[in-house]
Amino acid sequence: MKKHNLFVKAAASLIAAAMLTLSFAGTVYAEELPYDTYNYDYRENFVLTPAAYVPNGSVTGQSVGTTDFTEPQDLCVADDGLVYVADTKNNRIVVLNEEMTETVRVIDTFDNNGQADTFNQPYGVCVSENGYLYVADSMNKRIVMLTPEGEFVKIIDNPQSEILEEGFDFIPIKVTVDYADRVYVISRNAFEGILVFESDGTFTGYFGTIEVKITLWEKFWRRIATKEERSKQQLYIPTEFTGMDVDTDGFIYATNIDSDGVQAVRRLNPQGKDVIQKGENENVGGDIRIGTYGDYSGPSEITDVVYRDKGIYSMLDRKRGRIFTYDKEGNLLYIFGGIGSQEGTFTTPVAIEISGDEIIVLDAYYGTIMKFAATQYGSLINQAVGLRYDGDEKDAIGIWQQVLKIDENNELANNGIGKAYLTAGDNKTAMKYLELGMNRKYYSVAWKRYRNEILTENMSFVLTAVLILLGGNFVYKRFIKKKKSSKEGGLL
Amino acid sequence: MKGLFSKEKWKYAFYTVSHPVDGYYEIRHRERGSVAVALALVIIFSLSFSINRISASFIVNDVDPLDVDALTELLAVLMLFLLFCVGNWSITCLMEGEGRLKDIAIAFGYGMIPMIVCFNLGTVVSWAVAQNEEAFYYMIIGVGIAYGLFMILVGIMQVHNYTLGKTLITIFLTFIAMFIIIFIVLLFVDLINQVYGFFFSIYQELIFRM
Repeated sequence: MKKHNLFVKAAASLIAAAMLTLSFAGTVYAEELPYDTYNYDYRENFVLTPAAYVPNGSVTGQSVGTTDFTEPQDLCVADDGLVYVADTKNNRIVVLNEEMTETVRVIDTFDNNGQADTFNQPYGVCVSENGYLYVADSMNKRIVMLTPEGEFVKIIDNPQSEILEEGFDFIPIKVTVDYADRVYVISRNAFEGILVFESDGTFTGYFGTIEVKITLWEKFWRRIATKEERSKQQLYIPTEFTGMDVDTDGFIYATNIDSDGVQAVRRLNPQGKDVIQKGENENVGGDIRIGTYGDYSGPSEITDVVYRDKGIYSMLDRKRGRIFTYDKEGNLLYIFGGIGSQEGTFTTPVAIEISGDEIIVLDAYYGTIMKFAATQYGSLINQAVGLRYDGDEKDAIGIWQQVLKIDENNELANNGIGKAYLTAGDNKTAMKYLELGMNRKYYSVAWKRYRNEILTENMSFVLTAVLILLGGNFVYKRFIKKKKSSKEGGLL
Repeated sequence: MKGLFSKEKWKYAFYTVSHPVDGYYEIRHRERGSVAVALALVIIFSLSFSINRISASFIVNDVDPLDVDALTELLAVLMLFLLFCVGNWSITCLMEGEGRLKDIAIAFGYGMIPMIVCFNLGTVVSWAVAQNEEAFYYMIIGVGIAYGLFMILVGIMQVHNYTLGKTLITIFLTFIAMFIIIFIVLLFVDLINQVYGFFFSIYQELIFRM
């Protein structure tokens, strides 16, 4: 019994020690945040980083002077800074001021050609560049176009085309509008892609269809299955789009839930072709290292995306509540956020937007909008990536150096500095930084130039050595060998 | 062990590289080879391999330096060496091979020489190449491996006095034998573990009840 006791004590102290180390690790990196901030390095290892964004308060319906939101599903920030919330289960659109401190107006009825009309579960909301408000009125199966003040303009509904299957049910859940007032709509169960309407409301077709990938193995099984078995198997249908945003060039960023966790976002050009850049890791699917069992496992489920500035976009994972930010080249810049009940974490995150310098995320379950403010680390990265997007890599070097002071393993920073040194002609320093940044291509360029430098510097020594050798050889052949052979000849 | 310090044996190992057919014949019939030298060559090869993985230039090297453990790699190479020799010996015993275990070990060990040379040469060359010139590096490594395998093949053929076809068949069977050996070893280890677990649980029961 005594021995048993000792064992328990030992185990308890071991657990205590382990917890102590863990909590120490927590204080070093997480800075008392409710979530881990991390990134993936070149080898796709999990690396803890300083926080790029930290929670900066939250907004509820009551805090802005109206009743609480009930399962709000979408957010939109207009060009004038007003924040539009689709308060779905309350059948209204709430417009908040730029600081999100009070309600500017609530739109729940509008005058539809003399008749008072209401929304039925408005799922999506969008404000166009021209300032018109578009509401995806899901259960009324229509898109309602209003002025920002809530005056009725027109209705887009009932798309007609031979490409739509018989009995097609138009249930719009997300809507976005480009510079030409073309309306892009994600409809529930429309697996063929995004529905596009011209500015006059005519349906023109599907856009950005996701191709279904069937592996050879699945094809083989389908081939040997009987007809009955085949009818019971699941259909190979593409995944639905989950969220959209339009960038400054009029390209559509659209997210979908990718079961492979490789590509959760597409950048669709006006022809509907995907032109996204996937970066070094060939991955724009959120988390790269994922668990294999339990609720928390599986690839990220990206539900919404926001295009920010200078090619930077952020997307929202509803499974682990994380926000992934990429640059134009597909480099993962930073990750933050998590599931939980503390401020700064979510229960069911549904929409992400950018309001000024803050990232705002809508949580449907609690009906709150979480605000996140950039830390020095985050804003430095944003600035440096922006400069690189504009082609000012030289100006970015100072900012990258500041980033390195905060996070010395940042590969993007090492890369940026290395490239700047390369342009400046300091090839040796460039090599050092480019190797830390794991950039093989530019490292090779730097090494080629450095190699040439070494060669030109040492050419005189090399040539002298060659000359001496040749001369020595000549002397040896001419005199010493002759002597020997003459000796030999003498012997003969 | 004597062979390790004999200049003549080492010289003969290099003679085998340039004259594999004659070289291996004399190893079998005139005792010109040395197991100690062969073993040393295998160890040197393992070290060269690890050095290449760690310090080949960044341009050709995508290995995470943290993943390289020279000791584990040494053990793995030695294990493979042992397995191959035992596997080949047990197969050739049944197939009228004339070679002794000793000869097989030497045939394998001496085949390491081109690989040692080329891996180290490759490491040095890699420091000089840039992208698009990697072909030189891969060619050096490739030639080393190809010649090494060729030497092992000729070695096995000569020490057993086989034809080429028979050698290839026995080498194929050797791999099967190696798998069988691994399987049996794993089985054995698992059984031993279970027996150990059984007695350990009896011991624990006794301790807790006393």
